[in-house]
Amino acid sequence: MTPNGAAAFALVAVLAAILGDAVGLAAAGLIVAAFAAIETGARSWAALRRAVLVMLPLAAFMLVIWAGIVGRSPSEIAAGVPGSRTAALAYVAGVAARLFVVVLLVQVVTLRFAEGTPFGLIRRLYLPLGAKRVVVVTLSLIETLRQSIDRAHTALIAGGIVTRTLSLRNAANGWLLIQTVWLTAITTVTARLRDKWPVESTLALLDPALDGAERRLAVRDMVWIGLALAALVIAAAR
Amino acid sequence: MAREVFAGPNFSGRSAALLARLRGLGRPAFFVGPYAEAALSGLSTSVADELALYRAPQSTRPAFAALATEPLLRRVPQSLSGGEQVLLALRCFSQAASTAIGVDTALEQLDGDNRAAALAYLSGGGFDAMLIDNRAEPEGWTVTACAESPAFAIDWDALAATVRIPPAQAIAIEALDFAYRHGKTIFANAGAVLTPGAAYRLFGANGAGKTTLLKLLAGALRPSRGRLLLDGATCLPWRDGNRAFALATQNPDHQWCGATLREDIARRRRALGGAAAAALDDGHVEALARALGIASPDQHLYELPLAARKRLSWLWPLAGAMPWIVFDEPTVGQDRATRGRLAGLLARLCAAGAGVLFVTHDDAFAAALPHRVLRIENRTISLL
Repeated sequence: MTPNGAAAFALVAVLAAILGDAVGLAAAGLIVAAFAAIETGARSWAALRRAVLVMLPLAAFMLVIWAGIVGRSPSEIAAGVPGSRTAALAYVAGVAARLFVVVLLVQVVTLRFAEGTPFGLIRRLYLPLGAKRVVVVTLSLIETLRQSIDRAHTALIAGGIVTRTLSLRNAANGWLLIQTVWLTAITTVTARLRDKWPVESTLALLDPALDGAERRLAVRDMVWIGLALAALVIAAAR
Repeated sequence: MAREVFAGPNFSGRSAALLARLRGLGRPAFFVGPYAEAALSGLSTSVADELALYRAPQSTRPAFAALATEPLLRRVPQSLSGGEQVLLALRCFSQAASTAIGVDTALEQLDGDNRAAALAYLSGGGFDAMLIDNRAEPEGWTVTACAESPAFAIDWDALAATVRIPPAQAIAIEALDFAYRHGKTIFANAGAVLTPGAAYRLFGANGAGKTTLLKLLAGALRPSRGRLLLDGATCLPWRDGNRAFALATQNPDHQWCGATLREDIARRRRALGGAAAAALDDGHVEALARALGIASPDQHLYELPLAARKRLSWLWPLAGAMPWIVFDEPTVGQDRATRGRLAGLLARLCAAGAGVLFVTHDDAFAAALPHRVLRIENRTISLL
C-alpha cells in the first residue's frame, strides 16, 4: 500500500463516518476494523487503546452537558419540542461513535507506515512541497510542545511545586504547568528562529529532503479506496 | 580553510561575533549552539530524519562517527542527553553541504573522549570552523580576542556571605532499577550511600544516566524498583514531592517556574511552605540575585543573556530551601574565572556541612572542588 492510497482511503472513510446515519457509520466502522486487522495488524490494539483514552473523557463531558444539563437533543431544540434525555443520550452516542471511528482510523492508517520515518512518509505523499513543509512544521510544533510539557513538568516537580503522582498539591498548583509549558515552548522556538535557522537557512533544507512523491496507486490502494467509496455511497444514500 | 576561536570572558560579545562571522560568509553555514534549541534543527521528530534533513549527496567529508546513531534512529532528537545532541549535530554537519561550522560552547557538554574526538574533527580540513569554548584554545587556530565587559559581574564575597544552607541528610540509594519506556535500561540494582559535608561528582559517558539519577532523586522520574532513604527514613519524592534536592538544571531554561525571578521564587515559596518558604524571603533572594549580578528580580528571565541565566539558575540551590545542592553541568558557558570561584564557594559550603551533588565534564572545575566520584557505568553506580 502507498501513503497516497492510505490518505485517499482515510479521507473517503472519514466522509462516510461523518455523513451517514447509523447504518452508514456501521459500514465505515466495519471497513476501518478490516483495515486495522489486515493492514496494521497487532499494532491496532495500541491505536484502539488510544482512541478509547481520547474519546472517553470527551464522551463523558458531552454526556454531562447534553443528557445531564440540557436534557434535549439539538434537533429537538431546533424544532422547539420538549424533547427527552433519551434523545440527548442517542445524540451523544452518535457523535461519540463517529469521532471514535475517525480517531481510530487516523491512527491505524498512520501506524500502517510506522516502520518508516515521518520524513519518509511525507516525502512519498503526492502533495505540493509547500503543503509538505506545512505538515513538517506542524509535526515539529507538536513535538516542541510535547518536549516543553516534559521539561516544565520536571521543573515544577524538582521545584517541589507539584508531584509526579496524583496529589492535592497538583490540584492546587497544576495550572502553573500550562504557563510554564508555554514559556518553555516560546523560548525553544525563539532560540531556533534567532540563531540556528537564519545561519543555516534550515527551512530551505526541507525541500530536497521532502522531494520525491510517488505518483501511482497500488492495486491494494484501489481495493481499500473502493471499499471506502462503497461505505460512502451507503451513507449518502440513506 | 579558516580555524578561528573567539576568546574572552562571559559577556564580551563572543557569541554575537561568532554569529556575525558565520552570517558574513555569504553561504549557508552550520551552527551548534549551547543547548538543544540551537544545536538541532527542531524540524525532525526522529534521529533518522535529522540525519536525512542535512544529508547532502554531494558531500564527500567522512562522517563524524563518535555517536553510534544506529540504535538511536527512532528516538526523538530532543530526548537524547545533552552530550548526545551535540554529537548528533556534529554528525549532521559532517554529511551536510555546508562548508562552515560555528560551535558556541556546545563541546563543554561532552565527556573527555567525545570532546577530544570533536576537537580533532573540527581541527581537520575541508571546512571553516569557528569555536567558542571556555576550556580550550586549540593549537593552530586563529584567536580573536573579545573585550571584557563589566556586565553581570558576580560579587563572590557577598554571595558567600548570603548563602545559608540547612543541614543535609544522609542519602541511601538501594537496589535501584530504572528504564525509560521503550528505551534502554539505565539502572539495574544500583545503589550508593552519600553523606553530607562532602561533594559528589556523578561521572560517566554521555547518555550513561547522570541526569536521570538527578531526576530520580528529585522525584521527576519514578524507579521501577528500589528505595531512597534520607537519614534512614524511606523517601518517595515522586509521590510526596521533592523536599531535599535543589536542582539547577543543565539548561537553565528548563528550570524556571515563572517569567521573572520574583514570580519563580514566589511560586516555590507558596508550594513549599514552612522553613523552606522562610529561606526564600524576598530580602534573601534579592541579595542572592544581586550577588549573582542580576540587579532586579523583576527582570524578565528571557531578556537576560544565556550565561547570566545560567548563573541565576544557581540561586535556587544556593537559597537554602532544600538541603542538598544539586548542579547539572553548572559551568557550561561559564568563563575560567567564574568556574574557579564557584568551585571555591562549593568547597567552603561542603566544609560547613552542606551536601553537594554535581554532574560535570569539566575536569578543571572538579579538580578545584574536593569530591568523591560516583561513577555511572553498566547500569550501576560505584562510589570511587
